Amino acid sequence: MSSETSGVGVGADDAEMKRGPLGRWVDKAIKNPDRVYRAMFYVATVFFLVTTLFPFYWLLVLALTPNRLITNMGLLPKGFQPEVFITMFERVPFHLFMFNSFVLGITTTVIVLLIASLAGYVFGRLRFPGKGILMLGILAISYFPPAAFLIPLFELFTGNTALSIGAVTISSPDLFNTPAPMVLPFSALFLPLSIFILTTFYGQIPDGLEDAARVEGTTRLGALFRVIVPLSAPGVATAGVLTFIAVYNEFFFSFLMNNGEASSWAPIVAGILKYQGQFDTPFNLMAAASIVGVLPVAVLVIIAQERIVSGLTAGALKE
Amino acid sequence: MATEQQSGEAVSDSRRTGPYASAVNWMETLTETQFAYLLLAPALILLGVIAVYPLVQTFSMSLFADQLTGSARLGEFVGLQNYIDLFTGARDFALPSAFLPTFTTQFPFVTDIYSSALMVTLIFTLFSVLFETLIGFGQALILDQDFRGRRWVRVAIIIPWAVPIVIQGMIFFLMFQPNIGFLIGTSDNPALLNQLGLIGTTPLRDTADALFLIIVADVWKTSAFMALLILAGMQSIDRSLYDVAKVAGASRWQQFKLITFPLILPTVLVAMLFRTIDAMRVYGIIETMAGCQTVPSLSCLVVTTFNAPLYGTSATVAFVTAGIIAVVVSVYIVNFASEGI
Repeated sequence: MSSETSGVGVGADDAEMKRGPLGRWVDKAIKNPDRVYRAMFYVATVFFLVTTLFPFYWLLVLALTPNRLITNMGLLPKGFQPEVFITMFERVPFHLFMFNSFVLGITTTVIVLLIASLAGYVFGRLRFPGKGILMLGILAISYFPPAAFLIPLFELFTGNTALSIGAVTISSPDLFNTPAPMVLPFSALFLPLSIFILTTFYGQIPDGLEDAARVEGTTRLGALFRVIVPLSAPGVATAGVLTFIAVYNEFFFSFLMNNGEASSWAPIVAGILKYQGQFDTPFNLMAAASIVGVLPVAVLVIIAQERIVSGLTAGALKE
Repeated sequence: MATEQQSGEAVSDSRRTGPYASAVNWMETLTETQFAYLLLAPALILLGVIAVYPLVQTFSMSLFADQLTGSARLGEFVGLQNYIDLFTGARDFALPSAFLPTFTTQFPFVTDIYSSALMVTLIFTLFSVLFETLIGFGQALILDQDFRGRRWVRVAIIIPWAVPIVIQGMIFFLMFQPNIGFLIGTSDNPALLNQLGLIGTTPLRDTADALFLIIVADVWKTSAFMALLILAGMQSIDRSLYDVAKVAGASRWQQFKLITFPLILPTVLVAMLFRTIDAMRVYGIIETMAGCQTVPSLSCLVVTTFNAPLYGTSATVAFVTAGIIAVVVSVYIVNFASEGI
């Protein structure tokens, strides 16, 4: 820690600083307020690291401790029981719930990227009447709480909505316990963010490139999918990663639009809650399942952090 | 397929035949406006069916009475009676908790705030957004510095944002279970937080304590989101302003007060707007940590009445929730406009 302190400079004028006992430190600190700022910086960094990471450490402590010993826990596990990561799959088919989450996440991401690519192209590159109003309308829709959509969507997806055209009445198909009642609301919910990210990226491609492709005989859609989209690959990747994480994190429709069984496409929400409902309250299994459930997104964040940061800021601030 | 694509690029499209080619040719003849609306059609249809239609339908359902028996979902048309009952408290018997608090003539003019869904939601929103902004600001100030290991500090700070809500709830459920950790003990054996007198020994069963812990959980997860947005604002500030300030002898605090803060204020306000909208919908974390009986938020009321099933009441609460969010959004937007941001 202290060797790092001397090696890392915040200001440019820190080179002559040397470490010494407390008295000298205070002495120098008074002469050079930068040292105080740097000390504050390290204290704050350590504080934030501890507060963000401690809950994960706590999960590990609980997971490794045999369940009967989990009482009055200190900061260290009481015992070492790595088999918990096998037991948790035996008790609840958590791998199936995770598979469902992946399928829902990937399907939604593909749908969102396709639809948002078309819309982003329109908003980013075309001029037409009604553009401003439409963008505002799409933004406004993302303000509404999912609770305001719940009942009609539930009725629609359970086959209780009928559409009458003259004498013919068409009932909506019963899609409950299939992926559709989750994938469609997810797509609508997370579409606006992707549209705004892609609008920004597509809008930045120079017109000349698209014109050149068109002169070469590419169709309008060909220009979009062979020129604009490949050139905006970072933007598309960003929108994809954010959509996938958003679906993986979603609670409301994931919880309410299925019967909570892995065979009915219920995602990890139902899987995690199943551990809470066990008769013997297996705290160690709950902790182990939480760790396993976090791993995919943690890996995604580590790999794609640059994309996430640029996407969140581009998407949110351009609005 | 592959050969067709290759020749497709070489040969002009008009020579191809078949439905695909004729669709392509038709698309080429459209005006820019027609083409724009054609490409927007999938997005508009999806949002129309999944968002606009349900919203209109929710409003129309809120004009009908609940139907407790029989196969029909809704009772007779009652106009705005559901809304009147909700705001006068006449509907509270059907709800897991009251909608409004009890008003009194004595200071602070309201009682039972923790049994009112509206107050619980507003308290949650106010405190979580406030602390997320402050902590996010602190995190952004750190991430704005250049130091070794910055990449990993940034990952560590972002990760809570990516944790699924259900796991976030589970983590805090496990941290604040009585008697399993060092934070919460039992009444015979009080632990750290009990001895400090902060919260009781069954915090997830007590509305005030559970609300406090849910705010803590939300701040833990979502401060990173604020930090990223504020950081983006900071990094778009022209660095030469700081050089000028240094030459002019401004201290770090003065640099912060006179350059950083005013320039990122618009960003912070936008970020707060997003968080406010999000916080007012709070549901998942409550359901996993404490349950809707203990901490009734507005979304909780919607789901509980929907499950009852009291569709008329549920639709009314849902539409009122959307309306409250719309009011909050307008307040922010009016403020933006008046400050000229």
